[in-house]
Amino acid sequence: MSRWAQSRASWLKPDFVFLAVALVIPVLDLILPGFLQIGSQMRQIFLFAILGLGLNIVTGFTGLLHLGVAAFMAIGVYAFAILSSEIYPFRFGFWGALALTPVVGALAGLLLGAPTLRLRGDYLAIVTLGFGEIVQDVLRNVETVTKGTQGINPLPYPNVFGYEFVTETYQPWYFLFLGIVVLVVALNRNIENSRLGRAFISVREDELAATCMGINTVKIKLVAFALGAALCSLAGGLWASYLGSTGEPGNYDFQVSILAVCIVIVGGMGNISGVLLGALVMIGIDSLVLVQLTRYLQQQGLSSTANVMSMPNNWKYMIFGLALVLMMRFKPEGLLPSRRVKAELHHDEPPKPADRLCPNCGYPTGTSTVCTECGATVAASS
Amino acid sequence: MSVLDVSNLTMRFGGLTAVNKVDFAVDPRQIFSIIGPNGAGKTTVFNAVTGIYEPTDGQIRFQGHEIRRPLTARTIVGIGAIAILTGLGALIAYNIDGLWRAVITANFKYLQPFPYGEAFGDFFGYVFGALPWTSSILPFLFGLAIGGAGAFVVWNRSRRTPNVIAQRGIARTFQNIRLFQEMTVLENVLVGMDTRMRTRFWHMALRLPLYWREKRETEAAAMELLRFVDLADEAGYVARNLPYGHQRRLEIARALASNPKLILLDEPAAGMNPSETVELMALIRKVRETGVTVLLIEHHMRVVMGISDHVVVLDYGNKIAEGTPQEICRTERVIEAYLGKEQIG
Repeated sequence: MSRWAQSRASWLKPDFVFLAVALVIPVLDLILPGFLQIGSQMRQIFLFAILGLGLNIVTGFTGLLHLGVAAFMAIGVYAFAILSSEIYPFRFGFWGALALTPVVGALAGLLLGAPTLRLRGDYLAIVTLGFGEIVQDVLRNVETVTKGTQGINPLPYPNVFGYEFVTETYQPWYFLFLGIVVLVVALNRNIENSRLGRAFISVREDELAATCMGINTVKIKLVAFALGAALCSLAGGLWASYLGSTGEPGNYDFQVSILAVCIVIVGGMGNISGVLLGALVMIGIDSLVLVQLTRYLQQQGLSSTANVMSMPNNWKYMIFGLALVLMMRFKPEGLLPSRRVKAELHHDEPPKPADRLCPNCGYPTGTSTVCTECGATVAASS
Repeated sequence: MSVLDVSNLTMRFGGLTAVNKVDFAVDPRQIFSIIGPNGAGKTTVFNAVTGIYEPTDGQIRFQGHEIRRPLTARTIVGIGAIAILTGLGALIAYNIDGLWRAVITANFKYLQPFPYGEAFGDFFGYVFGALPWTSSILPFLFGLAIGGAGAFVVWNRSRRTPNVIAQRGIARTFQNIRLFQEMTVLENVLVGMDTRMRTRFWHMALRLPLYWREKRETEAAAMELLRFVDLADEAGYVARNLPYGHQRRLEIARALASNPKLILLDEPAAGMNPSETVELMALIRKVRETGVTVLLIEHHMRVVMGISDHVVVLDYGNKIAEGTPQEICRTERVIEAYLGKEQIG
């Protein structure tokens, strides 16, 4: 019992480390010279962390490969925009629209989940991929509602106790997004350690055994879809407010879905702190390291817009691809693996005595050296 | 009244008859064994009883009733609501452009309060007035049919699924152990207890008092069960790291966690050494003493003859003998079909 409690406690630690670092970054920005300031770019990392956590519920916990996360982000973006923009009649304001966005997203998740429940593995992945493309096309073509490729703008900025957010100072945004990330992480932790989280994981581990234990796997998969979609559309709503516009529907394409999958895989599938680290690494490379490197090389005259290959910020997908290949080869369980997934992926360890079969009759022999079925002697070591 | 009453059970897979007109009745608090050579259809009977297969023919009654979710008024209302919602969805999606113009754009003045009542009226005005029946009634009926049929098919398929049967009080273990390998021993038992839990989403998300109370109670009950099968010291281990015999016992504990009235054990002694087998026999007797009826598939004649109250013998899907272990031992057909030449020679 104490052993179990201990393992739980050590699990929580990375979250608090991340929180402490996140709280220090705006303070550091006041001291550091301009080119090292990262607080402003951290906002994107927070948003993608929420997106990754949403995907983690579907793919990491429940084991359903989902390649259409961008569709739910787009649904969140447009739901937030239509509910809050002044050019539409609803005008719920920032907080009202933000509260309704996950509800819309969850309904969309149910809509996708209900007909696809019996699909597994590759087939489900292809359906979700198709859903992502359909949503983009619909948003582009229903111009009366979504303004097509123009996008919807302006969108209201957040307002906290009468304090209006502006684009010039990033700190209020930073703490708002950080606060929402903290809430989402807390929600994920609570679910992971509860009845629902165990049901998610049992469906991933062995669906037949789970249903024989009285778990309604159909319902559990639907809940996972709806919950994941709700978090992804929450990320979308925040993204729309951060941009002040929906942007073009084509922004929410397959690249975004794959980026979310990369975040979950690189960080560690099924592990909440891993997803946070994955967002930090992947988006950090994209919007911090490469951007600063480009600026530095341009100052030194080493890269120019004339040659696109010489600009590090064009290396993005090459680096992502390389990162994925290297991860899959050397650390398939991710940077911060969940203990479960790690055990699943390392099957090359010597087989346990329990897996041994009698050479004579093929019966499992357990730990004994004499087969209980036919009496043949089994080799003592494997 | 018998706990489980299987009558005339037949399972056909294409041209293969795996189980052919099998009858048996399990009385309360019995240890009831099904034996037979490999491929006799024992596990198929288990799968039919636990809802993994739908029987081709015949009936399975549990405590006098067939387990099948009834068609209630609530189900009909639910299916109807889904059908109407998908119908409305199809109607709106088909005419989204015109509807948005007529309902939202026409009533909207910049920064003025939006007249929701008028807009609501305009919706019906547009649907019944402006639209031809081909673009209002037809899409609605299309959505109604798709949604209604889909909801009905999903409900119909879920009438006799393993989870429905498990919730009514039949638990099982598997021939090739199917634990949740990467979960801890304690978590495995807690998954088994899921049917007894009452927390809902908001209790979990916000950690309301009910969540804590249930966590305390279920963890205590799970530890109690682990002590019952003598695994309490391993509660924190990941299930895959347990020795084989312990995994078998954990599977029994997980099955017992749902407070079943009937437990189905599929070859629990497979792969166990003699001393583990003796412990297992004691455990099965202990399970029966708690008031649970045990239905057992077993190959080990020592286990079957040692603990069974009643034995059914299957061969090629047919029941060839039934009775107490002593009677079975003396039946010639059983000796021929199952115990083989060794016994005769």
